[in-house]
Amino acid sequence: MSIVLVGVSHKTAPVEIRERLAFAESRICDALHQLVDRELISEGVIVSTCNRVEVIAATPKQHETEAAISHLYDFIHRYHSCDAATLNKHCYHRSETAAVKHIFRVTSSLDSMVVGEPQITGQVKEAFQRAQEAESVGHLLTRLMNRAFAVAKRVRNETGIGSSAVSISFVAVELAKKVFENLQGTTVMLVGAGEMAELAAKHLLNYGASRILIVNRTYEKAVALAQEMKGEPVRFEDFNKRLPEADIVICSTGATNYLISPDQVRRALETRRNHPILLVDISVPRNIDPAIGDLDNAFVFDVDDLQSIAEANRSEREREALRAEAIIEMEVERFAAAMAEGDLNAVIGAFRREVSALAFTELERSRKRLGNLSDDQEDALRVMLNAIVNKLTHPVIKQLRESEDGHSLYLAAWRDLYHKKGEKDEKDEG
Amino acid sequence: MTILLMIALLLYLAGAFYSIIIFATKSDRPGRELIALIGAGFSAHTAAIVIDWSYLGYYPIVNPKDVSSFIAWAIVLYYLVMSSRYHVRALPAFILPLVFVFTLISLLLPDPGLPLPLVLEGAISTNTITQVIFPVHVTLVIFSYAAFIVTFISGIMYLVQERELKAKHFGAAFQRLPALNTCDEIGYRSLSIGFALLTLGVVTGIVWNNQRDGRYWHNDPKEVMALVTWFIYLFIMHYRLTAGWRGRRVALLSIVGFVVVLLTWLGARALGGYHVFG
Repeated sequence: MSIVLVGVSHKTAPVEIRERLAFAESRICDALHQLVDRELISEGVIVSTCNRVEVIAATPKQHETEAAISHLYDFIHRYHSCDAATLNKHCYHRSETAAVKHIFRVTSSLDSMVVGEPQITGQVKEAFQRAQEAESVGHLLTRLMNRAFAVAKRVRNETGIGSSAVSISFVAVELAKKVFENLQGTTVMLVGAGEMAELAAKHLLNYGASRILIVNRTYEKAVALAQEMKGEPVRFEDFNKRLPEADIVICSTGATNYLISPDQVRRALETRRNHPILLVDISVPRNIDPAIGDLDNAFVFDVDDLQSIAEANRSEREREALRAEAIIEMEVERFAAAMAEGDLNAVIGAFRREVSALAFTELERSRKRLGNLSDDQEDALRVMLNAIVNKLTHPVIKQLRESEDGHSLYLAAWRDLYHKKGEKDEKDEG
Repeated sequence: MTILLMIALLLYLAGAFYSIIIFATKSDRPGRELIALIGAGFSAHTAAIVIDWSYLGYYPIVNPKDVSSFIAWAIVLYYLVMSSRYHVRALPAFILPLVFVFTLISLLLPDPGLPLPLVLEGAISTNTITQVIFPVHVTLVIFSYAAFIVTFISGIMYLVQERELKAKHFGAAFQRLPALNTCDEIGYRSLSIGFALLTLGVVTGIVWNNQRDGRYWHNDPKEVMALVTWFIYLFIMHYRLTAGWRGRRVALLSIVGFVVVLLTWLGARALGGYHVFG
């Protein structure tokens, strides 16, 4: 059994190519059925996100990974009716341990556009679930993918790769956590409706913020957005009255002057009995007077501040990524060793079955000439044959298990022997 | 029991190192190992105190050596109780080195042995009420100090974290220290607990005075300082409850309060007076 994959990612292809090669979610099941022919390709998983497409497969034919890879290219070529030249130019392929490593790196978010972003692990998990539903995964890919998820978890736990925010909208969450610790029970107030501000508000809600108030000069817009985000629309005139309720204010409007003054915040803080308030200004020009930052228990950040935090976190992440790579190396080695172990057991099993079958076929052949045997005699014969099989195979198995360096060589020779034999048998039957 | 105290000291040292490493590497390791280490140290320490008590026949907290050991014990107990509620990685990294230092001081200080100071002699042997009140007084006051130490540490963490946020400087401290609200909550909770204990401690002290020699108040430096401490913490509590003071202001005041605690505890000794033990 071998693992092969063909893929395309943001590193190798522009978005026009990626979107042409993407697999629609609803059609992945069909695609998997087309991919897995149960001959050259025995198992398959398709990961398709906006940044990458990975067609991962297992082939039972150890020495034909190249054939399996070209089969994958053919499959993509036929499925998307995309010309071969484009595919060759933008796709990459991996096999065996290189494939394992690639899958571990992708799942652990080391190959992502934003290294360490957490979504990819979930996306790979979904892809694997879909493959399970389509019954296109068997023993090998199940083991591989589960290992990949465990590795991703390990990388996340043991390195700081995902610990800090690298996008502006996530930095707002990070800052809120540094003030409130836990966002449960906090109220977010969204002023205006910039895309970035909406995204930040959504992240805050995802991280536990309980309530969102939406303020807009045009009340209808506030109502529409409130419906979308399950929030509460607030009239612009009521802004001052409602400000004390807000723990986190996110502001993004087209106004050219300061909309929130130190005086307003001072009054809000009094009403709040000095419970801290975090104000995030994503508008350019700024809408929140930076002088508010001089008040105790009020914290103001503008877009430049967020940017510089994101920048600093990004370089921190790059350092952590190096540690993650070391973990991946280790895990790939472990997985490869476990696979070889599994291979060895499979070969040993096949060998034992073969010899045992031989012995019992001979018994059946001579059965007639033995005449009537009592049950005891029958048993004695079986015990004897089993003993001969064991004694015969034992030194060979021992040799196989003990030969560390020659291991793979021996293994390949044995596998070839049985593999070819298997094929011949099939032909005989046909 | 010196040997048990030494075992406790080593376990506290291991705990201090462990927590500092967790703090420095931002590791997400669960604190179970740490709690086990500290719990073992605490058990050895408790055994040492209990054995001393039964051996001496009186509450073994009469001299600075005893007090150092007991305050370390109280801080650990306080931390163990608190850690079930707050999982703040930064806190043990500050608390445990202090625990280690107090335990070490206790081991290094010479044992003054007998005779005991005169006032204590009376307290231990005269009548049952003073025999009970003295240990209660000492225990309450030392536990209040342990709580105030935690308030002090939270206050410092708050101020450092607040400065990072206000200066928009997100360095090592920013990532490692807990959120402002957490610092504030731990600080205030410890302050309330410490204040309640100190109040009871002062009251039992006054009662003990009267039992011993018929006078409630001696104008002893330590008595006066204790009262000043009490008023400072009362002041903070009052404004917290009435005006909602919190954050920076409370953090600063609790640092001031702790400095006065230190003066009461150590400084009053230098000023003389009869209340010189511990």
